[in-house]
Amino acid sequence: MGVAIFLYFLAEAWSYGTYHPGYIPAILLGLAIVGFSIFIWWRQDISFDGSYEPLATGAPFRKVQIRKVAMWVFLMSEMMVFTSLFSTYMRYRQGIKNCETLFLEGEWIDGTVVTCFEPASHLIASSFWHIAPGAINTFALIISSFTIVQALRYAKMPNLDEEVRRKKVYRYLGSTWCLAVLFLTLKMIEWFIGFYVPEIDLGFIHIHEHDIVSLVNEGYTINADHYQHHNYVIDDHTLHAYELAGHDISNLEHYSNGAHMTANIRVSASLFYVTTGTHGAHVAGGIIGLSYMTYKAWKGLYTPQNAVSIEYFGLYWHFVDLVWVLVFPFFYLY
Amino acid sequence: MNFFGLMFLTLIEVAAVGLNLQPTAESLGGDWDEKKLTWTILWAIGIPKFIMIAAIFMHLYGDKDSKILTLTALFPAFFIIIMVLFVGLTHPDAVTGLPAWCRPGTYNI
Repeated sequence: MGVAIFLYFLAEAWSYGTYHPGYIPAILLGLAIVGFSIFIWWRQDISFDGSYEPLATGAPFRKVQIRKVAMWVFLMSEMMVFTSLFSTYMRYRQGIKNCETLFLEGEWIDGTVVTCFEPASHLIASSFWHIAPGAINTFALIISSFTIVQALRYAKMPNLDEEVRRKKVYRYLGSTWCLAVLFLTLKMIEWFIGFYVPEIDLGFIHIHEHDIVSLVNEGYTINADHYQHHNYVIDDHTLHAYELAGHDISNLEHYSNGAHMTANIRVSASLFYVTTGTHGAHVAGGIIGLSYMTYKAWKGLYTPQNAVSIEYFGLYWHFVDLVWVLVFPFFYLY
Repeated sequence: MNFFGLMFLTLIEVAAVGLNLQPTAESLGGDWDEKKLTWTILWAIGIPKFIMIAAIFMHLYGDKDSKILTLTALFPAFFIIIMVLFVGLTHPDAVTGLPAWCRPGTYNI
């Protein structure tokens, strides 16, 4: 409820590019509710020794831990959130003509903006280096799922020396935290910063020095209504590349050299940033939770009796991984 | 084991995009092209990955409460199917066309 109040009034305060200071108390109220809830939750969690784990008494969850059921109900609502985003993506991807198809069909006029769907994968999957941050992130999330499983395993292990348990659990949780931070860092690099690839010559492999430009610097932004991709230009190099890829370029013959298709790609870019950003926000939420859990583990407060808290967080974290399994091929590869 | 399986499947996934599959698609004949082949591989890899994470990592298989929790997890699938069906069936040209009111330009208040 606190998050809803905070987000709603935050949007109201800056709606349509105008600042409305009257909403600030409501924003602070939302933040206060969130802060108070976290405080209450922290007080309960830090003192939880596992001696009382309430079980559901009614059907259909009889004898299942209430907190576990609550986590699954929460994950159900999360599935609905991501399903809305995926169905929107499918709808628009199918409903708006692909920019590359439009370009090749020659249905555009030089100097006039056309509306089309430009999947982010057109930029991201264009080379090994472009896709590298996303691919590393995929492995990072899978490894982080493994490290949280290991943290739970050692926390639950009976007859383990307490100091060994403490070290194992906080190291595995800390590793999960590091991988989550790596995930968001690479995402920021991919979206806003880009990176430099140095010249590498190993004899059997030679890589030229070049820069990988970020998506934003490529012009792939949510308000890109004059987007110009370097592949959507009429010149010998581009046309030859399309021919080599097996495309029919006969529809482009009447264009003069240098003609460039300008596109409005706001829908496709918005869908990409909102969906991957929502997933990124879940990773950021996970980082906050992991920070606390790693601290708790460092203090040696996890025991086989209360280790179930790691399991509940693990459910959330695996869900974040699960969503990425779909986000990655949909938005990054295809 | 599950972890290594997931890593292996992800490697195939990335390779499917990175490698040139055009010759393979042509050798398959029919209306196969590289994009369709890549898409098929991505789905074929994505589904087992999804199941492996949900079943093993999220304990939806093998625990005593797995059955009821699996049903809980699958409950939104009902709505998901409805949502996807709405994408495809609410309008005769729902997949190939978009109503004017949700086309770019008309929502730009």
